[in-house]
Amino acid sequence: MSARNPGMNMDLEWVSKVRVNTQAVLKRAQQIQSVKLAKKQWQAAWLLKAVTCIDLTTLAGDDTPSNVHRLCMKAVQPVPYDLLQSMGMHDKGVTTGAVCVYPSRVADAVKSLKAANSSLPVASVATGFPAGQTPLKTRLEEVRAAVADGAAEIDIVINRTLALTGQWEAMYDEIRQFREACGDAHMKTILAIGELGTFTNVYKASLVSMMAGSDFIKTSTGKESVNATYPVAIVMVRAIRDYFLRTGHKVGFKPAGGIRTAKESLVWLALIKEELGDAWLGPHLFRLGASSLLADIERQIFHYVTGRYPALHELPMA
Amino acid sequence: MAGSTSRTVHDIFQSMEYGPTGASAATAQAWLESRSRALGLFVDGRFLLPADRQTRTLTDAKGDSVCSVICAVEQDVSQGVTSAASGFRSWSALSCHQRAKVLLKWAGALGQYSQCVVEVSDLSQASCSPASLVRLAQYYSSWAQLRDTLLPQWSPLGVVEVVVSDDCPLYSLMLKVLPALAMGNSVIVVPGLSTAPSALLLAQLLTEAGLPAGVLNVLTGSVVNLGATVAGNPTVNSVTYSGNKQDGVALCKTTAGAGVAVSVSPVVGASCPFIIFESADIDSAVDGAIEAAFKKRKEIQWVLCVQESVLDSVVARLKLRMAGLKCVALPSEADRSLVEAAVQGAQQQGATLIQACGPPATGLQYPATVLCGVAPSSPCVTSPPPGPLLPLMSFRSNTEGVTLGNHSPHGHAASIWTEDLTLALEAAKSLSVGSVWVNSHSVCDPSLPTSGHKDSGTCTDGGQEGLYQFLQPSSSPPSLTRSSPASLDYDKFGSAGSPAIVPTARCVCVAPKFYQQFVGGKSCKSESGGSVAVQAPDGTSVLAYCPDGGRKDVRNAVEAASKVQPGWMKKGPSARAQSLYSLAKGLEAKRQEMAASISAQTGLSLDEADQEVELSVGRLTDWAARCAQGQGSAPAVPQAGTALSLPQAMGVVGVVLPDNKPLLSLVTLLGAAIAKGNAVVMVPSQRYPVPALTFIQVVQASDLPAGLVNIISGARDQLTVALANHNVIKAIWYWGSPEGCQYLQHTCTGPFKALWLHSHEEDARWAQPSTSLLEETWHNATQWKSVWIPTA
Repeated sequence: MSARNPGMNMDLEWVSKVRVNTQAVLKRAQQIQSVKLAKKQWQAAWLLKAVTCIDLTTLAGDDTPSNVHRLCMKAVQPVPYDLLQSMGMHDKGVTTGAVCVYPSRVADAVKSLKAANSSLPVASVATGFPAGQTPLKTRLEEVRAAVADGAAEIDIVINRTLALTGQWEAMYDEIRQFREACGDAHMKTILAIGELGTFTNVYKASLVSMMAGSDFIKTSTGKESVNATYPVAIVMVRAIRDYFLRTGHKVGFKPAGGIRTAKESLVWLALIKEELGDAWLGPHLFRLGASSLLADIERQIFHYVTGRYPALHELPMA
Repeated sequence: MAGSTSRTVHDIFQSMEYGPTGASAATAQAWLESRSRALGLFVDGRFLLPADRQTRTLTDAKGDSVCSVICAVEQDVSQGVTSAASGFRSWSALSCHQRAKVLLKWAGALGQYSQCVVEVSDLSQASCSPASLVRLAQYYSSWAQLRDTLLPQWSPLGVVEVVVSDDCPLYSLMLKVLPALAMGNSVIVVPGLSTAPSALLLAQLLTEAGLPAGVLNVLTGSVVNLGATVAGNPTVNSVTYSGNKQDGVALCKTTAGAGVAVSVSPVVGASCPFIIFESADIDSAVDGAIEAAFKKRKEIQWVLCVQESVLDSVVARLKLRMAGLKCVALPSEADRSLVEAAVQGAQQQGATLIQACGPPATGLQYPATVLCGVAPSSPCVTSPPPGPLLPLMSFRSNTEGVTLGNHSPHGHAASIWTEDLTLALEAAKSLSVGSVWVNSHSVCDPSLPTSGHKDSGTCTDGGQEGLYQFLQPSSSPPSLTRSSPASLDYDKFGSAGSPAIVPTARCVCVAPKFYQQFVGGKSCKSESGGSVAVQAPDGTSVLAYCPDGGRKDVRNAVEAASKVQPGWMKKGPSARAQSLYSLAKGLEAKRQEMAASISAQTGLSLDEADQEVELSVGRLTDWAARCAQGQGSAPAVPQAGTALSLPQAMGVVGVVLPDNKPLLSLVTLLGAAIAKGNAVVMVPSQRYPVPALTFIQVVQASDLPAGLVNIISGARDQLTVALANHNVIKAIWYWGSPEGCQYLQHTCTGPFKALWLHSHEEDARWAQPSTSLLEETWHNATQWKSVWIPTA
């Protein structure tokens, strides 16, 4: 991950001046989706880049050490070795960006990865994921526990009650405390955009999260009805750009929830390239939170290399 | 992209560059091949490729030859015109429903062949989305269906010529062709080089959709020459033009005096303000500016105006966003040197550049460039060069932003960015342009009438208002008589002095009265101090002396008029209606005096004269009543958003009045003009000025603001010249000689004035109760503005 975002003092004036024109954002989103992307090796290279940005995720009630182990092994070797080899990418360290699990599964994941001699970071959701409706004390404790178990990245959720009622200072203070609890672990802040109501609120929540020292801002938990959409992403990355122009700190961006196809992952990369520039195009500043996306990318890469579409059972399962 | 195939997956993985995405043009190539890559004319429903014609070569964006297009000669023109004349007969014989059906069928065909249409227009660099063409077809098909129901007093003109310049987009061409067809006219299209292939393809599709042969003809060649040759043919009834200003001016000058009305929409090359207020969503505004200013073929030269308080934040975002932009292709080497000269000139004045990279040493590529810190006086703002340049200026207050935006000879469009609703609507109202796009840019729809304000055009396109360009009142003959242009010395026209008035020895019992004219709310003598004699109806004696007005009187009048006009417009229609009612009352009060002056001047009986006064009172009341009726609307548009259609005053209108019905014609024209919020400078008939000069008392006694109505008497030609050469006057309504019409058509091109010309007198229309004259006057007194606000 890149240099950390130290955050800054709360600047309410900045937050209060935020203006977002919904229709203009929607139009921009359409325009980005209509950008034609090249085929062949460009598509393959971009897809591999998408792979390296994936936070390979399992967040289910029935997670056990065995499926977490499988997930970790898939994260270490996301694309079959022979496919990578024929593209000359087998020795370029193509792994996913991280694996992402619930706090109770962090220890399992760390163990599996250590056994496989991998330095892949383990990310953990925390702070009463997904609703965030638990007391601050237990939310902080959750963060500390995950870090103690070896999580290198913590995905926290914001308190939507504070955001919706405009208590930006209180939200800033909470996130500040989470950041302290994270210690050396990088903090990704989930805005749960599906529950924030307006683009303007999304922009404000993004700014406050970054001021409080988030290293990444993330669209959603994947558990709300509205997940990562391009218009919302445009609003968030514009906030990131705004923060960068003001402070010089680069904050990362992670869309999550509902990203399933290889084509979508390419649009996401194009969106980042258009709005933030090449500097953000890598796992240090861009992650895709997804679980089933990888399979579709593998399928496309298989087709690029062999000229055929594979049957599902031909690709290693996660 | 040289060597692009040698890029390995790993190279691209590292650089994350975009790859090549060549659009396919196979369908277009196949169509061109089917025409052997030699495009000719489309006449009488089929393609013609006459031998031994000069050809022009059309190239694509890379400079490769696409096809050749022949240049039509005299013989082809007469063939085209004959075809159009017979086309008009068969087309106008159809029912409204049958015409509508053809257009609808064409919309279907566009869908079927959309790939071909897209590729052909892309390849010839006249890109146009088939969806927008389909919308045009559907919209005008509905007007074709409803013509007789909703426009019962109007008939088609006959043969309409549509001319567009080489750089005109296909959409603007079809925005002229379709309403002309829908109203039942036949059309001769003279497309520019880039629109020629698409125009031919669309003509083919229209014929397949059932358009009778000859209704749509395409003649290719050099636009101005060919356009003028076609216009010179007496069978052609009207000429309309879209494209760049130079060719428009040239066309107007060469067709002047041919006795055919030419309306002009110079949509290409206008410079338009892109205003970012501090209350804007800055990121979206910057995105919009980049999209608008740096697209490949842009018709509009944008000038970015940014409120000072957000200037730094706009510049920072521009820098960041532009870092990733590729170079834009310029049309020609000449353009490259223009662009370079403009950039150098701006830099010498201290402007700083925002560029992704330095310009490549040679070639037709140039990086997107923002010129920060230029001033309204900089050459790159006053005469913007083509290419990806965007001058940036700052302003202090909201009001100054609007003033900066308005301070341009052009009045085509403006884009304003603010989240403040009140500011948005106020700015939209104050900007003197045809289209205002709030938080958006470059949206069009045929249902909205827009007129180019100021130098940006002389006609209204779109909506019901845009149809009158292609219609004439059923009850009246055309106002211009076809003729061949006289050899007129434009420098000498109207310069003959009036004979000096000296006291004569003749003993007259009643000395002729010396009348005064009316300028800026005061009755006064002419600046020159001279007078001209007015003959009594018997032609033997001098009835009166009236002031010999000239250039300086017109100057004073226009100055007063332009000061008072905006306030008059702002008063609103109901207040204006009240003023007109009281003017009518005032006229009624002076009934006897007015009747006496008419009778003395024209030799009519007192009864007849009294009848004219009565009609005049009625006419003013009529205008007042129409004025009180609401105008403007919020038409429903297919795009997400809200659109407003607002009628606007033309500004200052110059009127040269006819000899007939000296009072009735005066109040008819005056009433319409001021009811719509205009100010007028009126020149009474040279022969019969006395009633108009008597009417001054009525105006003086009314509550009309001083300067709104000016009446200047004197030699008609001399005053016509004075009106024609005052750039503030936006429209001239002229009743007079064919030479005068020719002079006006030739002269009123810089800036363009909307001309309503009559080269011969017809007596009957003024007194007729028919509404078509009133409607026609009403349309001529208005220009239209559309406001777009994207909403969910």
